Amino acid sequence: MTFLLLGDISQSTLDPAGVGAERIAELFHWMLSGGVLIWLIVVGLAVYSVTVPGRHRPRLTKTLVIGGGAVFPTLVLTSLLCYALAMLPALHQPAPKTGLTIDVSGVRWWWRIGYRTGENERVETANEVRLPVDQAVEFKLHSEDVIHSFWIPALGGKVDMIPGRETRLKLHPNRVGRFRGVCAEYCGTAHAQMAFDVIVMQQADFDQWLRDQQQDAREPAGEAAVRGRELFRRKGCGACHTIRGTDAGGRVGPDLTHFGGRLSLGAGIKTNDADNLRRWISRTHDVKPGVQMPAFKSLSDRELDSIVAYLEQLN
Amino acid sequence: MNADAPSNPSGDDRLDANAKRLLDAWRTPTRWRYWSAVNNSEVGFWYVVASFTFFLFGGILALLMRIQLAIPDNDFLTADQYNQVFTMHGSVMMFLFAVPILEAISILLLPEMLGARDLPFPRLSAYGFWCFVIGGVFVCGSIFFGVAPEGGWFMYPPMTTEYQTGVGVDIWLLGLSFIEVASIAAAVELIVGVLKCRPPGMQLNLIPLYAWYILVVAVMILFAFPPLIAGDLLMELQRSLDWPFFDASRGGDPLLWQHLFWIFGHPEVYIVFLPSIALIAMIVPTFARTPMVGYGWIVLAAVGTGFLSFGLWVHHMFTTGLPAISIGIFSAASQAVAIPTGIQLFCFIATLLIGRVTKSVCLLFTLGGLATFVIGGLTGVMVAVAPFDYQAHDTYFIVGHLHYVLIGGTIFPIVAGVYYYYPAVTGKQLSEKLGRYAFWLMLVGFNVSFFPMHLSGLLGMPRRVYTYPAELGLGTLNLISTVGAFVLAIGFVVFLFDVLRSKKNQPLAPRNIWNAGTLEWLAEVPDKPWGVRSIPIVTSRYPLWDQPGFVDDVDAGHFYLPDAEEGLRETLVTSVVDADPIQCLRVPGPTFLTHFAAIFTGGVFILSTYHWYTAATISGVLAFITILVWLWTGTAPIPEKQEKDVGRGLTLPIYVSGSQAVGWWAMFITMLGDMTAFISLIFGYFFYWTAHDDFPPNGSSGPGWIWPMVAVLTILLAYSATLAARRWNRQDHATRFYGAIACGVVLSIVGGLALLYGPLTHQMDPTAHVYPAIVWVLTIWTALHVVLGVVMHLYCAARRAAGRMTARCDADIVNVTLYWHFLLLTTAITVLVIAGFPLVAK
Amino acid sequence: MAMTETSNRNEINKTDHVTSIWWIVVAPTVWAVHFLASYLTAAIFCAKVADSDRSAGEVQLAVMAYTVVAIVIIAGVGWAGHRRQRDGHGRSPHDEATAADLRRLIGLSTFLLSLLSAVATIFTALVFYFVGTCH
Repeated sequence: MTFLLLGDISQSTLDPAGVGAERIAELFHWMLSGGVLIWLIVVGLAVYSVTVPGRHRPRLTKTLVIGGGAVFPTLVLTSLLCYALAMLPALHQPAPKTGLTIDVSGVRWWWRIGYRTGENERVETANEVRLPVDQAVEFKLHSEDVIHSFWIPALGGKVDMIPGRETRLKLHPNRVGRFRGVCAEYCGTAHAQMAFDVIVMQQADFDQWLRDQQQDAREPAGEAAVRGRELFRRKGCGACHTIRGTDAGGRVGPDLTHFGGRLSLGAGIKTNDADNLRRWISRTHDVKPGVQMPAFKSLSDRELDSIVAYLEQLN
Repeated sequence: MNADAPSNPSGDDRLDANAKRLLDAWRTPTRWRYWSAVNNSEVGFWYVVASFTFFLFGGILALLMRIQLAIPDNDFLTADQYNQVFTMHGSVMMFLFAVPILEAISILLLPEMLGARDLPFPRLSAYGFWCFVIGGVFVCGSIFFGVAPEGGWFMYPPMTTEYQTGVGVDIWLLGLSFIEVASIAAAVELIVGVLKCRPPGMQLNLIPLYAWYILVVAVMILFAFPPLIAGDLLMELQRSLDWPFFDASRGGDPLLWQHLFWIFGHPEVYIVFLPSIALIAMIVPTFARTPMVGYGWIVLAAVGTGFLSFGLWVHHMFTTGLPAISIGIFSAASQAVAIPTGIQLFCFIATLLIGRVTKSVCLLFTLGGLATFVIGGLTGVMVAVAPFDYQAHDTYFIVGHLHYVLIGGTIFPIVAGVYYYYPAVTGKQLSEKLGRYAFWLMLVGFNVSFFPMHLSGLLGMPRRVYTYPAELGLGTLNLISTVGAFVLAIGFVVFLFDVLRSKKNQPLAPRNIWNAGTLEWLAEVPDKPWGVRSIPIVTSRYPLWDQPGFVDDVDAGHFYLPDAEEGLRETLVTSVVDADPIQCLRVPGPTFLTHFAAIFTGGVFILSTYHWYTAATISGVLAFITILVWLWTGTAPIPEKQEKDVGRGLTLPIYVSGSQAVGWWAMFITMLGDMTAFISLIFGYFFYWTAHDDFPPNGSSGPGWIWPMVAVLTILLAYSATLAARRWNRQDHATRFYGAIACGVVLSIVGGLALLYGPLTHQMDPTAHVYPAIVWVLTIWTALHVVLGVVMHLYCAARRAAGRMTARCDADIVNVTLYWHFLLLTTAITVLVIAGFPLVAK
Repeated sequence: MAMTETSNRNEINKTDHVTSIWWIVVAPTVWAVHFLASYLTAAIFCAKVADSDRSAGEVQLAVMAYTVVAIVIIAGVGWAGHRRQRDGHGRSPHDEATAADLRRLIGLSTFLLSLLSAVATIFTALVFYFVGTCH
């Protein structure tokens, strides 16, 4: 099946990179082999019954109905049920309290992500989850509007984000790499474009990254970027976006403090480069119909370049 | 039978005259009056045609989606258009095709299978049909104005309550509730039909398997649809009056909707699937030339599936963060339900094995359907395994799975059924050759389209996405799916062509063309409106095979009701288990009243959608009046004589009241459905209790206990007055009867007001928090039932005053009393919950 | 003529024994009650009672008790059904128009449904063997 997989970003459940996903993929392969076998037997019998002429002994049919229709399925299903039930406690067992806890909120149509770094401290980012390899991580899931569902296929199952409730999910990545997560519950117009990047890193790299994230935004370097910061302020971007270390403190949209270091923009839908960012700012609704951010069509090319330069530096 | 009749030389002449009278009584109205027909053959036929029309509409929507998804980043449809299209595809296929088609086929065929002339309430079927058409056109029409619902066929709040403010959600809620009511009406009809309108001698171990399945399915509808109607009610109240049932910030909970929706939604799958399996259970023995193996096993499977299917609903909610323990319970039941399904399949295979198989297109579709369905069943077992579902849920794996179940388990058998029954209904046979083309196109197209979806789902493609990025590598699989969908569509076009092409030059098909053994094949070619010439005595599961001279005896009018002396439409009512004849039931003939009733009822729902409440109220009053006129003129008429000779020396009463009467059963069954909706609301109350730390919330006084107590006591007295009225009517004490009714009316009004006064006097504001809102809903629900009880009291008094109800012919007051049993229960439960629970919970 | 094949109808007991068909639904109803009781006990316990360690030992005990009761009733019904089914000489398919065959068919359905209900009940109980917490 690998021929169908993508080069570097995986959104596949069949190419697991986490403990949960691995166990589920194994379960699937067992069920698949069993299913194929059963299908062949049943359909083979059906085809035989209409193609081979002549009456068969009624006694045989009785055995068939009791054995094939009742006893055999009961035995198979009982074993499958026991196997599956035995998996459940481990999947639902929360990650150890000492480990990493991440808050994720679904917002139409992006992800607010908060790393709990201390008792009451959180460092906020958006649309990108970085995880240390070989550590069970506890996710606390919320929604700020409608029901969403948090799903990283390569790492494990999904859990819904429901207004008024806190749900939780444990994921345990065991392979370094870049993966893709998506919203799995239909949540309105831009549901199809509500994704995020998942980067599983070595522990040391992760620790470094998290320390960087805790820093305020870096000062703009170069004339264009400085102008960009000014424009960002003047155009009122800060009403919705936070850039820590500046007076931009909006909470409506994603935190952009370290935007430039993110791999994609628009909630996991486009590579984060200058061209895409220009398009995103000026023709937002062409890139992502339904998105809540207004398009800044009136910006001149120069203004656009400046803002892009500023944001891309925020790594 | 009259053993001397055949030897009577003048017998043939007499029979001809009888036949003529019978034909006159059952004659289908002509020209524009044709549409006033209520007989099951006409209504059933229209129903089938209408359902298939909606199916085609849903199919075209599916093709639009497949075009959009054929390539990554496509812009054939916009996001909003796509979201409307997939919402409508699901809603149309489920509510306007899958459920109605089973009711349609059953209305058309069930009476024939039972040798009955009609179903017991033909006008109810007609009313249901016209409601269905009006509601269906209304809902489908919305997409042409770009205002179709776009919340998915599952309509999860808070998206649909707070974030989609357009009219689409209201169209969905009100339009489909309207159709759900029609479905429940059909369920009542079918249950009473199977239980009470069988031919004499057809005891429960002899009824056609189709009837067993339909009985189970109709009972399932009765318990599955009301929770959704209750949910619709809550959601519409939130949308139009801002009662916060699903608003978490005011104590509501979006998950309540999911529970109510899926308590309906999962049984729904089996409601759709079982009738199709029922068709297979009729087709397989015919083409195997042998009775079905394992009749008792199939009864087990049908009843068992019916029960177990109510224990599966949470498997649609496995990812909502429930504890593993709850998930495990529903996972276990979802596994268990596979057992009865397997048993049915093996019964079919065993029947084919011992039989002498005749090959035909019907059998081809049956086997193709089985092979396909088995894949859907196996993937169903997979997704029933909770851990796997955590991955597969809401992905294209599920899309693949559900279409394997529904197309393999429902559409293929229905197409097989069309090939099978087409000659019986139209007199002409469909082409075997075109049928084979259609079959292979559909089978190949279907598998090419839907098999790859399993893989795209596992590769991470979520459902309900209008686009996907090219980098995910899903393009090839989706393109294959799209190609397959069009091949499948071509298969349907071939099938449709075969069905619709003119067959003027084609000879009539022989009677009982497949040499089947069951009663529906008594149908003459071309068919006569009377159904059967005489209602036979049945002593076998396959009377046409086993009872010698059976067809000739039926045709010669040797059995029951071969005549219509009074020119009225009559059919036999028999006892539930043994099918002993107990009544000669007169069924009503053509009318336009049902159309008016349907139009005005539709008006209530449709006008409310646009918040034109004055017009909606006027429409409601008109609907109410029309239905009263219909009941007044059309139900329980006092016959000109008490008894009648139905043939073979058997004399049966014409008027029956109480638990032997079909009307009593209809009331009983309807009230079971009504209670189910009520219990769903009660479930809501306690659901909020489990979801909150303080429920009822601290500081809320609730409705107090005094006024609710007053209410329940006065309703108890009103109930006693109803019982007294029934008794005094029977004893022909007119004064006392009217006195009791008057007491009942006054007490009911007092009781209803007292009920409302509780929350009113405690200033419970239903928009402030979910607690007052749910208390108000329970109170108003009960109060409305009290109002209906008052109307019924007055109706009975008027009936007696007009001489339409007498001491002996007392069906009205007997059925009203039955209603009052349920009303008392409803009131008692309401009071216990709203007034009693806060005392315990504090 | 039709006369002859209807003669054995006389054998039929004319009383409309509606009650006998209720036997068919007893076992699945017991399953349903057991199912609902187990689900509600677990759901309410986990939402309202469970303490910080989220253990659900009490629920396991309760469901064990429900299961014993349910299985005993289902076994009783199944045994009664089995006896009806074997009544007299009867072997399947129980397709004669006689009271005896009607009784046997109802017996057979009752018996089979109680087997299915027993399996489904045990399935529910198995959950509580494998899962003992509210996580």
